Amino acid sequence: MTAPLPKRIIKETERLQSEPVPGISAQPHDDNARYFDVMVEGPGGSCYEDGEFKLELFLPDDYPMCPPRIRFLTRIYHPNIDRLGRICLDVLKNNWSPALQIRTILLSIQALLGAPNPEDPLNEAVAKQWKENQPEAIRTAREWTRLYAKKG
Amino acid sequence: MADIQERPHKKRRFFVDDDQSPVRNPTLSTEASLPDEIDSAPEAQAYAADTAEDRRPETDTFDADTFRAVVGGEVPDVALRSLQGRFGTNLEQAINAYFDGSWKTPSPQKLKAPVQSGFKFPNGLKKEASNGTPQTNGTSSKAPSPPPALNFMSSKRYIGALGVAGWTTRSGSNLLKPGDVVNIERTKQQAPQKPGRGGKVRTPMRRTQDVIVRFTNAKGDEIGRLEKDNANWISTLVDQKVCSFEGYCIFAPERIRTNDTVYLQLRCFLLKQAFEASNFIKPMENNRETGIFEAKESTDERDLRLRQIALVKLFSEINLQPSKINETTARHKREGILQAAEVAEQYEQVEATQKAKKSGTPPEGSSPPSEENEEGEELEQDQLDTLYKKAQSFDFDTPVAEPAETFVMDLRKYQKQALHWMLNKETSQQDQHKEQSMHPLWEEYLWPTKDAEDKDLPAVVSQACFYINPYSGEMSLDFPVQEQSCLGGVLADEMGLGKTIEMLSLIHTHTSPEQQAAVSNGTLDSVNSLPRLPKSSSQVEAAPATTLVVAPMSLLAQWASEAQKASKEGTLKVLVYYGSEKSANLQTLCCGANATTAPNVIITSYGVVLSEFNAVAAQGGNRGSHGGLFSVDYWRIILDEAHMIKNRQSKTAKACYELAATHRWVLTGTPIVNRLEDLFSLVRFLRVEPWANFSFWKTFITAPFEKGDFVRALDVVQTVLEPLVLRRTKDMKTPDGEALVPLPPRTIDIERVQLSVPEREVYNHIFARAKRTFTANVEAGTVMKSYTTIFAQILRLRQSCCHPILTRNKAIVAEEEAAEAAVDMANGFADDMDLASLLERFEADEGEQDASKFGAHVLKQIQDEAEMECPICAEEPMEEQAVTGCWHSACKKCLLDYIEHQTAKNEVPRCFNCREPINARDVFEVVRHEEEDAEDEQGVDGSLLATSALTAAMDVDSEAGEDEDEDELYGSTQPPPKSSATPKTNQHQRISLRRVNQLSSAKITTLLTQLRRLKKTSPLTKSVVFSQFTSFLDLLGPALTSSNITFLRFDGSMAQKERARVLTEFAARPKVTVLLLSLRAGGVGLNLTCASRVFMMDPWWSFAVEAQAIDRVHRMGQAEAVKVVRFVVEGSIEEKMLKVQERKKFIASSLGMMSDEEKKMQRIEDIKELLS
Repeated sequence: MTAPLPKRIIKETERLQSEPVPGISAQPHDDNARYFDVMVEGPGGSCYEDGEFKLELFLPDDYPMCPPRIRFLTRIYHPNIDRLGRICLDVLKNNWSPALQIRTILLSIQALLGAPNPEDPLNEAVAKQWKENQPEAIRTAREWTRLYAKKG
Repeated sequence: MADIQERPHKKRRFFVDDDQSPVRNPTLSTEASLPDEIDSAPEAQAYAADTAEDRRPETDTFDADTFRAVVGGEVPDVALRSLQGRFGTNLEQAINAYFDGSWKTPSPQKLKAPVQSGFKFPNGLKKEASNGTPQTNGTSSKAPSPPPALNFMSSKRYIGALGVAGWTTRSGSNLLKPGDVVNIERTKQQAPQKPGRGGKVRTPMRRTQDVIVRFTNAKGDEIGRLEKDNANWISTLVDQKVCSFEGYCIFAPERIRTNDTVYLQLRCFLLKQAFEASNFIKPMENNRETGIFEAKESTDERDLRLRQIALVKLFSEINLQPSKINETTARHKREGILQAAEVAEQYEQVEATQKAKKSGTPPEGSSPPSEENEEGEELEQDQLDTLYKKAQSFDFDTPVAEPAETFVMDLRKYQKQALHWMLNKETSQQDQHKEQSMHPLWEEYLWPTKDAEDKDLPAVVSQACFYINPYSGEMSLDFPVQEQSCLGGVLADEMGLGKTIEMLSLIHTHTSPEQQAAVSNGTLDSVNSLPRLPKSSSQVEAAPATTLVVAPMSLLAQWASEAQKASKEGTLKVLVYYGSEKSANLQTLCCGANATTAPNVIITSYGVVLSEFNAVAAQGGNRGSHGGLFSVDYWRIILDEAHMIKNRQSKTAKACYELAATHRWVLTGTPIVNRLEDLFSLVRFLRVEPWANFSFWKTFITAPFEKGDFVRALDVVQTVLEPLVLRRTKDMKTPDGEALVPLPPRTIDIERVQLSVPEREVYNHIFARAKRTFTANVEAGTVMKSYTTIFAQILRLRQSCCHPILTRNKAIVAEEEAAEAAVDMANGFADDMDLASLLERFEADEGEQDASKFGAHVLKQIQDEAEMECPICAEEPMEEQAVTGCWHSACKKCLLDYIEHQTAKNEVPRCFNCREPINARDVFEVVRHEEEDAEDEQGVDGSLLATSALTAAMDVDSEAGEDEDEDELYGSTQPPPKSSATPKTNQHQRISLRRVNQLSSAKITTLLTQLRRLKKTSPLTKSVVFSQFTSFLDLLGPALTSSNITFLRFDGSMAQKERARVLTEFAARPKVTVLLLSLRAGGVGLNLTCASRVFMMDPWWSFAVEAQAIDRVHRMGQAEAVKVVRFVVEGSIEEKMLKVQERKKFIASSLGMMSDEEKKMQRIEDIKELLS
């Protein structure tokens, strides 16, 4: 059977509810407290503004020694996020630290939406477009946001 | 050479069986008739009346010891000491005798020497004597010194005749014809060394001993020799000058050829010398002699044995039966002596061959008996149980006795019963013994009145009989009086039943008449009635108000404090006679004249007794000059933990035997530790006749036991034990099913400890080598030779279970086990680089961070973070705060886990916070120091200090931060209390940082965890931590300090005063919650009932030893349930040791006692298992 939920996860979950971060929400599944439905709003002023992006987040057994596993469910046009929604973000990989939390990770992801980094691409095609024709890329991203991440 | 000793095979014999010999002495059967006519001799009557008259006034006042001592004065030095050592209270005449010297030279003129008046003369006997009744006619003393009776005796006296066969060594006609007188001679033509007594040098191979007895004709020419079976004992009697023999030829062939059989009649005469005690070799275990000058024992013992056999044989050959024999003694068959002697012979042979194997070993008898050298077979556990069962058949209806008013403690019922029993032993026995007349070891024989030809023999006035002690080989013409028997006993209540208290109640309740007089009158009446004795430095002074307590050093303080606690104030004066207090002159302090001021209880240690014994011995046995323990004759003496003297050959035991007292008691929970001889030593100390005679003991107990006749031996032991021992056990139930002493429950849990990986590496390394060594030695068949090496390695293995670092220190090993083990170890481990490198890791992590590296702000930050949530596990406040080298805080475990997690992924560990690379070494524990005063006043969760005071203290402290001692990196206080803070945080605290010793020992870590948990849940509970390795205690100390646990330590190296201080402090100070105790120093006697937790850090070979340690805590006076935790490293030798413990293999003996090959063989089997 599953081990009892560590104190840390309980506390994080409680705090996500009691002190929510604007533009971000995370709901644990009833049947699996380690599995969260996440919603991140595109940051204002970015090409993802007004978009609501759904993600799934899973806390592995050795969390917080290991980072949470997280991916976009909503399609998104972003050089650091691939077709499957996987995210290229240092704090989710080498720069993970147990001092980081769900909240800080989601904020980092939100920040990543505001500042795409084509120099460290995960999705080569998008990155290429971003570098060669940035206005076109931004337009596509807005288009995708409107298509797939529409609020409501 | 054999043909000289052994008769050659006979080619042809006339008489097949010697028993059918026609010359078998026909007169023998008439020998034992009563010599009635002598008894009515008027001289005899007059003499008897005279002496009886002389003695009458002393009848009630003299004790037997004195009597014995005075009579034993023949050998001046020994007797002198003996005399002094045993002087009782009313010794006027005896002392006069001593000073006028009349007793020294036994001359006929001094026939009625005043010394005689000192003899105890039983009432019944006295009456008989004046009536001239035959049995008691003449004398009332027995032998060791030349008694007056001896002067009546001619140089020899006929005792009987017997027929013997001899064989000729010559041939010729008319060499010998019937009726010829032959001389019976012991000439030693062959032997360069005299095999007889007196400065004799024995050849190592005793089987070739010369027993040749020749018979010669009138011209002195040898004609032949006696057959060997008779020559065996006749030679002894001749050599030891007990008998002389006159021979007459009964039958001889007319023409004699070599190796013909001739028959002789031997007339046997007891020599006068035989009755002079000085002529005898002192038997080894003769209580009449002081042990100070005990000579080479085994030689003497051997001669004694030979004499015993010879005398028994002689008496049976001449068919002389004792006319009177003690009932007790009679119950045991006299053949026992012969049996015992046989056993001794076999023993000896085995021993001799063993000795012969070892080259360079000094010949038997010249090596002094060592303390370790124990004898006798060990008892099986079930045999011990049987023995005790009988001794424990305690009658719950025993009457009780109320202690004296001056005794203020409440006694439980069974303790009052003990008091009653003890009072009985001390008083009523005195009367009983007066009825017994003859000393139980002695036998009375009547001198024959007719000789072999049925002719009348010249009667000797007043000498109808003589006496023989077949157990000591002594002979006497004087009546051996039953000595006053032991006025004490063995109090063997199990540990925790309150033996000390019971004894103290006796001290209060039964005082000497002198003391009572002194107390009631303020003066001592008996002093006035007793003329002032000339003061002599060599004299022993009576101490009628004093009880001497001898106890192990660790118990001295406890005795003293219990004695005070138990007494109404001012009613008991206690003197701890130890160290500097020894300067007191006990003679002056305790003498009768000072009975009002004399210490009532003197408490001393076995060590002091031994050292003073040596001092007295060095001064030629002059007891008085020293003014010490041996210069005083106590009212009572008590040996606590008396199994200390279980080895009768040890010097400590011998020293204790020499202490003089009216009442003698021993206290021990285990009167028999593992050998029957253990009990003997107690009995000897108590002077219980006849059992205090080792020869007697050996005959009826040791010999049957060693021959496998357990039932008989144990039965006898029980009869010895029964009247002497009071033993109750803790689990005894009263008839209505109540426990004797309801003790709170005790639980024992085994905590299985997992070694860390580096520890395990060290362990495996040592294990592999130990196993290699063992296997190699098994294959080479050299296990026995390298025994110590193997054991040393096993010791290391056990140490590595405690802490790997222990195995490195060779000095430690020397301290823990025999020095020889250490030597082997040094050789085996010196070049051991592998182990050294494994151990290196355990060394680096010691010491603390230099204070200068830290800025005040860092520590402030650390302080601030302390109450925060752990960034890793979200615990709040964090558990055991630890910081990285970059000063980021988290729980110690979280931090270490994360570092380990990263290392496992082959990443460079980095700080969870700032991602700086960090070193696993650079993790520090934050140690909080609670202010001592605050805690002692308020307890751990003490209430708030006034805020102003706190702030003030804080200011001072933070300024003083730089000057803290090395351990204190920084001193500060918590920030001023916030409203939400718990009271705990308000405490004035200082912190320091200590490197996390990641490579510490798993056991230490586990212990600390348990102690910390205990401190949280019940801060006042005290714990006792036992380890057999004092070096491990050395490591535990700092670990406790770092966990802010205040502890004390008690081990064998501490001085007595220090021990007492530690025990008092541990009991008194609430802040001190832990006592570190070495298993050996603390295994015995101590009372630690103020603690209720016991941690056994390492298993011992026998659980009994651990159980004894546990019983320091779980004993009477313990009010709380006792929890015991035994630490055992999983998958290690310790687990196997537990199995060995369970099988009880080691129950009776511990490794330290190993001395002979046999025991080693048994242990080899155990080692095999340990290394499997």
